[in-house]
Amino acid sequence: METKRIMRLSMLLSLSVVLNIIENMVPLFNGTVPGVKLGLANIVVLFVLFQYGFKDALFLSIVRVFLVGMINTGIFSIAFWFSLGGALFSILAMFLAKKTTKLSITGVSVTGSVFHCLGQIVVTCVLLNSVSAFAYFPIILAFSIPTGVLTGVISKELVKYFA
Amino acid sequence: MNKADIKLCLFILAVSLIIYCVMLLTSSNSANKKAVVYYDSKEVLSIDLNEKDTQNYTVKGYNGDVNIEISDGKVRVIEENSPRHLCSKQGWIKESYESIICLPNKVVINIVSKDDLDTIVR
Repeated sequence: METKRIMRLSMLLSLSVVLNIIENMVPLFNGTVPGVKLGLANIVVLFVLFQYGFKDALFLSIVRVFLVGMINTGIFSIAFWFSLGGALFSILAMFLAKKTTKLSITGVSVTGSVFHCLGQIVVTCVLLNSVSAFAYFPIILAFSIPTGVLTGVISKELVKYFA
Repeated sequence: MNKADIKLCLFILAVSLIIYCVMLLTSSNSANKKAVVYYDSKEVLSIDLNEKDTQNYTVKGYNGDVNIEISDGKVRVIEENSPRHLCSKQGWIKESYESIICLPNKVVINIVSKDDLDTIVR
């Protein structure tokens, strides 16, 4: 049973890395709205959070950030800290939302997407020592609703399928 | 989606609209604007946006030179070296609540009203 779990989690991890790379290759609106993306890798994180629990989801997000960092820009690069901030904010917020509120998986997904952008903006502010990044906040916040709902609905179907 | 989900979405939408309105209302309408360019949180360039002519500037970025164009009260990044070129794809900005941030190059471009600066000095 333990081997099966490890196998499944590692396959989910590689899936999340692939989704992350695909997403970076196809920017939404051709990149004219900075910071807005689908968040496809969050489908995997949500699925693991609901199917396996917080510890596994946290571990998967962190390892994913390291792997994507190694593939794209190198570990401890600026982009790496940016992703790590988003991933940690998002997974902690989703865990708390799942535990303490009546939100369904879709609502948890929207929460995750809001905190993902909040995390990235906070990291940007710290790295650049400037609050300018908050200029992007309202537009990213508004876009996190449709993208969060989309990943939430997909994760819901996945959880139903595997239950 | 259940009721709580819908409430959450409406709440987020309301918050984003409120922040956006506050940004619009607090932005200055003054025609007296300038673009301030920062590299690694230090000011490296300050350009008057009242000039109608198109002008090009180059500042040093973390990954190489960043090319900035000023035209008709607007500012944009033309060329820079970064993985996804988000800041050059973003295009023109001209309002004081807008910013161009090129995180890989540690370059930030803000638009400030010169009147605001006077107020601070006063």
